[in-house]
Amino acid sequence: MVSSSDRRYTRRDTVLFVLCLGLSLFGLFSPTSWGYGVADTLRQTVLFPLVWLQTRAEEGRTSRVRFRQVTLERDSAAYLAQFLPSLRAENERLRQLLRLSHRLKIGYVSAEVLHQPQAMDGRTLLLSAGSREGVSVFSPVVSPEGLIGVVLTVSRTSSVAMSWAHPEFRVSAFTVSGNAFGVVAPSNEGRNGEGALEFRGVPYRDSVPLGTLVLSSGLGGVFPKGVPVGTVIGTVREEAGWERVYRLRPAANPGSATHVLILVGGRTADLRPAFPSDSLLEALRLDSIARVRRADSVAQAAREARAMRRDSLRRASPLQGGAPQVQRVTPTSPILGGAPAAPVPAAEDSAQ
Amino acid sequence: MSSNRVSRIQLLLVMLLLVILQFYIRPRLWDARISPDFLLIALMLFAMRSSPGVAALAGFAVGLIADTLTPARFGAGALAHTLVGYLGSWGRSVFFADNVLVNAAFVAVGLWVRDFVVLVASGTNHRQLIAELTLYSPLQALTTAGFALIVLVTFRSMFSIRLDP
Repeated sequence: MVSSSDRRYTRRDTVLFVLCLGLSLFGLFSPTSWGYGVADTLRQTVLFPLVWLQTRAEEGRTSRVRFRQVTLERDSAAYLAQFLPSLRAENERLRQLLRLSHRLKIGYVSAEVLHQPQAMDGRTLLLSAGSREGVSVFSPVVSPEGLIGVVLTVSRTSSVAMSWAHPEFRVSAFTVSGNAFGVVAPSNEGRNGEGALEFRGVPYRDSVPLGTLVLSSGLGGVFPKGVPVGTVIGTVREEAGWERVYRLRPAANPGSATHVLILVGGRTADLRPAFPSDSLLEALRLDSIARVRRADSVAQAAREARAMRRDSLRRASPLQGGAPQVQRVTPTSPILGGAPAAPVPAAEDSAQ
Repeated sequence: MSSNRVSRIQLLLVMLLLVILQFYIRPRLWDARISPDFLLIALMLFAMRSSPGVAALAGFAVGLIADTLTPARFGAGALAHTLVGYLGSWGRSVFFADNVLVNAAFVAVGLWVRDFVVLVASGTNHRQLIAELTLYSPLQALTTAGFALIVLVTFRSMFSIRLDP
């Protein structure tokens, strides 16, 4: 037998359940806009603390993910930045080498310098070109800046060059003004651990001012004439009143050379035009950049003209259902001084 | 203050903890599809210690929260949670739900039923319905039941009471 309190209890539960069920079904089958309205209202009032809590949690999660992503990006950027200067330097050196190869009027072989992590690296260089490429003993080795050395031994696929830092290196040289001749040899008194050269055997009467460029003279038949060897930076000593020895700052650094040219012919040629001064080099570089930009502009104008032509043909094509339209586009190029670009064919061209 | 009142306050604190876990910790920790549903744990634990009418009301409230905060069809969550709350309360009378494992099993079954009702009421297509009910719902039921077990073991003394007057 169920008591009256139990019945009331059961009835109250049933009423509550039916009420909740009815409200749920009403929410379910009511228009969507009503549901969204109720949800919006609840979100902005009663459930605002929960929404705030969830928002903070989501922010925490996304910020953690973002932090991880930013950390990864930073690491990648740092990794790339490590190599960027060296890549730029290598790129610049290769460009210089390319320009030098264009200016050289004699035969040459390009080679990579295979550096070895040894103390003597820089005095002798292992090059990636050998007799197969036409390299022979005593072939001069140059870089865009100037003389690197001379080939000492040659195998089929590689060769060893003696750089100017080698104690046995000698080159006959003269000043760019042509008033003093002598022999350049490595110095034993390099400053700050850097290698230096000595310009020996200059007659006492021939004074060489500081900053004078010293070139190979071509005497001796090993090195061609006109390859920069170094720049006078001071006097080392004077020998008993008949000879002066000057200190030179080397034109090229074998320790940092990565790509070189090995000259394989025409040792009697004058290479002075191939090694212009710094100002001339800068002018040539700027001129080269300007030429590249001009070429890019012309190519861009041509691309635009082609695109316009395609558009015109598409519009004029009867297959597209449109009436043939005569449209002439006359794009102008700023480089060409406003001259009309490639003529755009009219509708009669496309109809054929 | 009577011990029953103290226990009710403690129980309320546990429910509050579950709500915070649901809205503050859950989004940070797990994949939403299989992570424990702390609100459902709170509902089931409350329903098993309340009268069916109150449990249905609590279910309706939890469902309304779910409908408001999730972009599903409005009303589906309220309907599902109302049914689960009501049935959970009746289920305690049928089964001997004083065992913690039975409580956890109740939670798992309740979650699966809730998902079933929500999916059907939302008009989910057949293929997705099967995938949800055979894969994700059981997984979420397992994790939810596991966490419910932890809660029951941790707060065993609080959940041994019956909230009915």
